[in-house]
Amino acid sequence: MVQIKKKKERDAKIPDAGMSDIVFLLLLFFLVSTTIDVDTGIGLSLPEYIPIEEQVFVPLSKDRLAALNINENGDVLLDGEIIAIPQISETLKPRIESKVDLPSTKKLVVSVKTDRKTNYNLYIQALDQIKFAYAEVQSAYAQQAYGKKLLDLTPEEANIVKKEKVPIIISIAEPEKIK
Amino acid sequence: MTFNKKRASVKQEIPTSSMPDIIFMLLLFFMVATTLREVDVYVQYKLPEAVAIEKIENKRLISYIWVGKDGRIQLNDVIVKLDEIQDIMYKKRVELPNVIVSLRIDKDSDMGVVTDIQQALRKADARRINYSAMLKQ
Repeated sequence: MVQIKKKKERDAKIPDAGMSDIVFLLLLFFLVSTTIDVDTGIGLSLPEYIPIEEQVFVPLSKDRLAALNINENGDVLLDGEIIAIPQISETLKPRIESKVDLPSTKKLVVSVKTDRKTNYNLYIQALDQIKFAYAEVQSAYAQQAYGKKLLDLTPEEANIVKKEKVPIIISIAEPEKIK
Repeated sequence: MTFNKKRASVKQEIPTSSMPDIIFMLLLFFMVATTLREVDVYVQYKLPEAVAIEKIENKRLISYIWVGKDGRIQLNDVIVKLDEIQDIMYKKRVELPNVIVSLRIDKDSDMGVVTDIQQALRKADARRINYSAMLKQ
């Protein structure tokens, strides 16, 4: 009788030692290719839209209002006087500081007004200066009242500094109709 | 007297078969945690630079509006006309009441277009905005 030779069974195995290397490569690819683009910028809340007919003019005392005008040639007026953009924060700081202890209805209001042809970059630079002035005053107040940096404050303390004492009130002037 | 080296008789091997699983987990974590930029930007723009800038914490609340060098306006993933912004943003605002609008506007733009967009946003009641800017070095 012919003996049927049993085929020798080969060891069937997928080598998986290099698997982790492959997955590492994938991981690296994702790590490198994903752009975590953090959105940074100047935050602002626009005023509520009220139709022109229903607008009521609330007179603001001159003392409370800092009016900033930027025209199409890039000239900047702060309360009617020509000012260079880098000087805005220095000029505003004492005015914000003088109102720290006043109630919220007496805080400084910074109003920004531009022409339609004003360069956007200038507007951002001016806004940046205003924000910077407020940030300086806030951190100075935090240092003086709590002896801490602004970032180290507890949420309650930060709330007092940012909402009660030195709130940022920037008003974007109502655009005027072109005649 | 001969010294016998003491050696454990068990096999010394770290099991590596589950290594890929661990790394897959890592991979998945990264894939989930990173929010990919999901829209193509069709307009060319250069952001202005500023110092007193802040980060937006919650990325899921953001809607983007781009304004390019040529004045074209892109809202999220489509190029839109100025008068379409109000309707689109109003719908968005109904879906997501505390939406933040990030304005990525080319720094050489005129304020006219910015004002128009702001008016549209105000009419749509999407009033939280953020002027996107890079940190000045």
